[in-house]
Amino acid sequence: MDFTIRAATLEDCKDISRMILELAEHEKVSDQIKITQRDLEQDGFSKNPFFHGIIAEVPEHFKSRDGHTKVGYSLYFYTYSSWKGRAVYMEDLYVMPEFRGKGIGKALMAKVSQLGLAAGCTQLNFTVLDWNKSSLDFYRKQGCWDVTADLGYHCMRCEGDALEHLAQGDL
Amino acid sequence: MDKFILRKAEPKDVSDILRLIKELAKFEEMEEQVVLTEKELLEDGFGDHPFYHCVVAEVPKDKQSLEGYTVVGFAMYYFTYDPWIGKLLYLEDFYVMKEFRGYGMGSEILKMLSETAVKTRCSGMHFIVAEWNTTSIEFYKRRGASDLSHEEGWRLYEIDKCNLLKMSSK
Repeated sequence: MDFTIRAATLEDCKDISRMILELAEHEKVSDQIKITQRDLEQDGFSKNPFFHGIIAEVPEHFKSRDGHTKVGYSLYFYTYSSWKGRAVYMEDLYVMPEFRGKGIGKALMAKVSQLGLAAGCTQLNFTVLDWNKSSLDFYRKQGCWDVTADLGYHCMRCEGDALEHLAQGDL
Repeated sequence: MDKFILRKAEPKDVSDILRLIKELAKFEEMEEQVVLTEKELLEDGFGDHPFYHCVVAEVPKDKQSLEGYTVVGFAMYYFTYDPWIGKLLYLEDFYVMKEFRGYGMGSEILKMLSETAVKTRCSGMHFIVAEWNTTSIEFYKRRGASDLSHEEGWRLYEIDKCNLLKMSSK
């Protein structure tokens, strides 16, 4: 199957938004989405973007059952390791179910790696849900290792009321 | 010890920042993993597009550490993005030298970071903690942090440079 991998543009936000919802539905948490297409446009395509995107696109004659030619995406941004320096974090990686098994996911990830290396990064980080066996298998095949399992690092979050209280110095 | 200030790190602080990074890594038994240099810290934190931000805790000269340091704590952070909820503040490192603990420096640093997160309209603050580090876990849980690995099953994965090169050439 013919497909191209390219940098996302403002015009892609409609499809990115659609696919974000599809990915959230797959992870069974679509009611948690607060970000709109407009937010994506502002946060990703202004002077100081908070993320970057890449899109996988197929020609018209290979379009999806619903008529989409943008069939996969990845969102990433640059982070920093106090041990090793520049790093790239892959926040989302998604390929529509009817386009899987054709190397699109691998190509998206390869592009993020290329961009990361070009920016001087020495590692790519991301998180995976422990029940997502097909993704875990895919990533292990690419040479990834589980930092949580091997080093015991847990992802923590402070948000909402807890964040507000923390800001006010309440304990 | 009521006299300490918190301020934004400046280029002159990179030597102290690296020293404190190494002290924290030593505590995590990962000291040999720190390959970052002062030059990289300078380029990456104080250029046109900083990869990180840093705040430092400083004491007056008469309160300096046993080895003569006045920069005695720091926090390194940057902004990340969750496509469901938007901007987040990610706390990469957070450390106060042992001899200066118990005076509220850690709490003040965390308070300053949370204010920054709220002011910049972040939906939350994320960070990682080693599961054996029960003192830190308690410190964070007291302040309302939740363990996403435990509660939602998120596992942190990494691909190192060697495998990145392999993947990018496919």
